[in-house]
Amino acid sequence: MINIFKIIIHIAFLYVIYLIGNCIQATLQLVVPGSVIGMIILFILLWTNIIKVKWVETGAKFMVQNLALFFIPATVGIMNYFDLFAGKGILLVLIVLLSTFLVMGSAGLTSQRIMLRREREHE
Amino acid sequence: MSNFITGLIVVVATYMIYLIAKRIHQKIGVSFTAPVIISTIIIIPILMVFGIPYETYMIGGDWINELLGPAVVALAYPLYQQKDILKRFITPILAGTIIGAIVGISTGILLAKFAGFEEEIIYSLTPKSVTTPVSMAIADMIGGVTTLAAVFVMIAGIGGVLFSSIIFKLFRIHHYAGKSVGIGSASHAIGTSKALESGLLEGSISTIAMVVSAVVVSVITPGLVGFLL
Repeated sequence: MINIFKIIIHIAFLYVIYLIGNCIQATLQLVVPGSVIGMIILFILLWTNIIKVKWVETGAKFMVQNLALFFIPATVGIMNYFDLFAGKGILLVLIVLLSTFLVMGSAGLTSQRIMLRREREHE
Repeated sequence: MSNFITGLIVVVATYMIYLIAKRIHQKIGVSFTAPVIISTIIIIPILMVFGIPYETYMIGGDWINELLGPAVVALAYPLYQQKDILKRFITPILAGTIIGAIVGISTGILLAKFAGFEEEIIYSLTPKSVTTPVSMAIADMIGGVTTLAAVFVMIAGIGGVLFSSIIFKLFRIHHYAGKSVGIGSASHAIGTSKALESGLLEGSISTIAMVVSAVVVSVITPGLVGFLL
């Protein structure tokens, strides 16, 4: 029971940081989503010890471990788009897959190259 | 029925179905049984059988949606937890995710444009490589459909994991860091749990890659979209 209470308080705290992120986004007319700005803010505050980990830990852990719960309503919305995936839409699946493979290959190769060079220099 | 009660029922029912889906996923444990997929497969037929329109479901769904923002903020926590590994691998992770982001956004846009899809759909698939709540936020910002964005993210996650060993062979990626950054920046949380099967360090690196790539993609997407479309 205490845990549920803690989770709610922590999520409320995360929500405030999200609102601050939104505020910054709107004021500075940034094209980066307010939630991402909020994430960067929280990371900096944690890193610099301005916010103690235990102030957000229980709630943040709950949200990250159950991340999927929060976008179920969005994926249920696919019921309004069934016809899109019926015909030409299958092409969209192929495009997403091909692009994903290229991301995996290019990102992986880039970091591998840097790691191998670093390991060679240390030998 | 008042909207408040409808909303409450939706939230409680969605949470219960999610818990059941999670239990099923733990028993079977393949990427196809991700809790969000099972939950969606359970919820849609229920709505259809009882003739409940999506808009009614969304009375409560919007309450859950409201938590997507703080959920993204919460991603700072796993990143902070891995800060020692972050320091050690910052250069390969940052370089890998930046290259991956540019490749993913531009190939997504160009292929969809070439295939002749409308802009709304192109915008929805542009941020497919990053974790769903961030992808939805980016799609929303540039003029896409958040639901479609969520579905494309799912395809990128499952497809990437299913074909990861072939991709690694094809691109000759054998280093553990290369594999972890690749799968984390292309297939987000589904990729991360796959990387975790190889080891804790692999899991950590791909978690960092997933979060860093979410930031990188949200920063560069609007510019690249303007340039390519």
